[in-house]
Amino acid sequence: MGFIRRLLLGDHEKLQDREFINQNDEPEYPSSTKLADNVNYLMHEFHNTNDLRIRILNKGNASLLYIESLVDQGKIHETIFRPLEFNEVDSIGEIPSAKHTLNLEESIRGLLKGHAIYMEDGRKTIAQFAVTSSFNRSTEEPQNEKVVRGSHDGFIENLMVNINLIRRRIQNRDLTIKYYKLGKKTNTNVALVFLDGVTDPELIQEIETRLNYISSDMIHSPGYVEEFIEDNTKSPFPQMLNTERPDRVVAAIMEGRVAIMTEGTPTTLIAPSTFFSFYQASDDYNMRWFTGTFVRLIRLTSFVIAIGLPAFYIAVVSFHFEVIPDELVIPVKQSINEIAYPPLIEALVMVVIIELIREAGIRLPQPIGQTIGIVGGLVIGDAVVRAGLVSNLMVIVVALTAIASFVVPSNELSTTLRFLTFPLIFLAGTLGFIGITFGFMMILIHLTRLESFGVPYLAPVAPLRFKDLKDTFIRVPIYMMNKRPRDSRAVQMEAIGPSREWKQIEKSSQSDEAGKSINQPDGGNNKTDK
Amino acid sequence: MKPASQSINQTAETIKPTNNTKEQKVSRRQFFYILVQTQIGVGILSLPNELHAVSRQDGWISLLVAGVVLPIVLLILWLIAKRYEDLTFFQINEKLFGKWGGRAFSLLYSCYFVSVGVLIVLLFGRMISLWVLPNTPFWVMAVCIVTVGVYLTNGGLLVLARFYTMVSLLLLLLITLSFYSLQEAHWMYLLPIGESGITKIILGAKEALLSFFGFFVSIVIFSRVEGSVKERFKTMLQAHFFVTFFYLLTLIISYTFFSTKEITFVPEPILYMLKSFELPFIARIDLFFISMWFVSVATSFTTYLYMAGQGLKEVFRLKTAKRANVFISLIIVASASLIGYDMTKMETFTKYVIQSGFIFTFYIPPFILIVALVRRRIQKERDEG
Repeated sequence: MGFIRRLLLGDHEKLQDREFINQNDEPEYPSSTKLADNVNYLMHEFHNTNDLRIRILNKGNASLLYIESLVDQGKIHETIFRPLEFNEVDSIGEIPSAKHTLNLEESIRGLLKGHAIYMEDGRKTIAQFAVTSSFNRSTEEPQNEKVVRGSHDGFIENLMVNINLIRRRIQNRDLTIKYYKLGKKTNTNVALVFLDGVTDPELIQEIETRLNYISSDMIHSPGYVEEFIEDNTKSPFPQMLNTERPDRVVAAIMEGRVAIMTEGTPTTLIAPSTFFSFYQASDDYNMRWFTGTFVRLIRLTSFVIAIGLPAFYIAVVSFHFEVIPDELVIPVKQSINEIAYPPLIEALVMVVIIELIREAGIRLPQPIGQTIGIVGGLVIGDAVVRAGLVSNLMVIVVALTAIASFVVPSNELSTTLRFLTFPLIFLAGTLGFIGITFGFMMILIHLTRLESFGVPYLAPVAPLRFKDLKDTFIRVPIYMMNKRPRDSRAVQMEAIGPSREWKQIEKSSQSDEAGKSINQPDGGNNKTDK
Repeated sequence: MKPASQSINQTAETIKPTNNTKEQKVSRRQFFYILVQTQIGVGILSLPNELHAVSRQDGWISLLVAGVVLPIVLLILWLIAKRYEDLTFFQINEKLFGKWGGRAFSLLYSCYFVSVGVLIVLLFGRMISLWVLPNTPFWVMAVCIVTVGVYLTNGGLLVLARFYTMVSLLLLLLITLSFYSLQEAHWMYLLPIGESGITKIILGAKEALLSFFGFFVSIVIFSRVEGSVKERFKTMLQAHFFVTFFYLLTLIISYTFFSTKEITFVPEPILYMLKSFELPFIARIDLFFISMWFVSVATSFTTYLYMAGQGLKEVFRLKTAKRANVFISLIIVASASLIGYDMTKMETFTKYVIQSGFIFTFYIPPFILIVALVRRRIQKERDEG
């Protein structure tokens, strides 16, 4: 029946398995009918590596090859030997789940993916079985991006699992994934994830071109990809958002941005990103919008504190003492009077110490890391002041600065901020307030000049667009963010339709009822009258 | 599902992002802020005192007169720019005065812009050394402001516009600070109104015109602003009246805070006034004011640098103005350092720059307009003949 149906209704076109790489570019080596030739070729190509297992079957007339370290023995048993045992098929080559090929090069790629290949003497076809083993940790919340409320899962090192996390959240046919093989030697899988119809096609094209230009032996981490494709490498500011949170990536994709994911790392890059996107956290959208706005403002103030506070203090103490109100002059003077070094040196020493403590804390195992924090922070801080090397106020200032720099939800930007403290300290130490103004102007001009994938980095502040300020300094209620922001380059602006119209209906029905209740007594009276 | 996706595709085709920032036009709002930031700058601190020297407490009337007269010049500039909507000012010159005449003309203008730049640097350095850093050598201040200028200009007009719009927030802060001081105003100081007489007031108005010199940028970037010709003129007027209002506010505040006699002794009334205030957590607001004023000065300076750079670019047919900008700023630093804090040299220099300012921004534009009109007439006759 099936045959007749196909003959009458089918279009007789043989479909082929879809591979995501262009096969025309791949080398081809036809398989031979002689089993020994094939096996020898493979052995030679793999340089007699010891974990290439060759199991001889059928009394030497067939062989099963796989890379021991990449396959799951249980799966081999399940897919290859179980059907034989239960007599479902006569030979391994006839197992329906197998993928057949005549190209030995393709089988090499298969072996590297963790497939097992089966070859028979006298037959050219090679059967491939997907028996890859993978070891995944659980998708637990990333350590560096914790939230109080909201989803608590995070990306892991497996690309498929990560894409699965996204697809589960966006069940839409427009969600498109494009695979790339980057790294000439490592052949790392890279995936572009975007929502077709919302994301600007030119943006995708732009990213694709930049990715295709990468010619490197290995793609080791997202940092590699980032530096290859970002607009301006001569900038301390990160131009792509790094995140390990699926909900954040999904939100970005829904805004029309593109996520770039790499095999072997949980970190996902988001392009284009603006300065303010580094100050958004998933938490903000789970809070009341009042508190969300409040927290946003605190974070953005922390930007100014983190890069400006030590500079401001130095400028005041060494140039503009008259800025301090009369009541404060004596305490401040007392605290800095005994110190041997100029404030500039003081500040540099303290800032460097803080950086040392932080770096030491990261590299050490957690229990020791905490000890370092206590020893460094409390003991050194206290001793340094008592020894008269650094003033009390300077310790306060530097500690506040460090705290402010950790408020930024993004780790890279936080590092950038702490780095930018140094030039400003120097400028403040040499030119006082004028130096600080100069430094801030240079930073602002730099930020205005920066672009991330055709989007101004400081959007929506420069260029100013009042409508898009709704998710920067403030966080307006969700239903008011009905348009996608311009800085994501989305081609479909509408994101939220009228969603709170029930309120008006309720109101109008209430007023109707109120009207009725006023009218009713009359009506009632009329009735009773009648 | 089908129709929805189709409509998505349509929007994808219609909305084309403009990647090329170089050719992108400046919005009218940005045009407004460019005009405002260029005009409000180095002069704002000394304006009250200078006007007072001529027309005493009626200085604010002089300013109003200047503010009312100036739109005539704006109209002339607009009439020129509107004729050649797609050309920059320097290209218009070449069109009107021929290849070499136009180039010479543009070069003269560039020199004028450079000299204004030098003047700004000089005044800035002097003010900073008087108020904030008495021991710092002049060239350090010059290098500071010029570095900002070059970095900003080399970003292109769009970056310039974006930055100006952003820092205009500071103007709001300045206005708030000024309002804070209104509580100490003595309105009696303004009386008697019109005491100095009409001639003095008119002379004062001439003095007041100086602080509006920056309006000339409107014709230089006119072709790179969005919107219809009329809309752009409206923005020019709006910016002009905003600047007038801002100056008026500073004048009234300084004239009501200091009496007529006092004001002759304070060269920078606003600063002296702020110096006397003390907020609970901070004293000496004038230092903060000066830091914000630095931004305003830097923006005016940058505009002149930009104009000079564009001029050189057009004259020497350069691909970009970047090299020209660096070259100009080196000249500015060098020539400003030659004068430095030397008051007598500076006064002569200021005099020359002001005179050439009047020539280049007030006397030449009508002449250009006449040439344009005559040329058009000739063109028409030729077409008819």
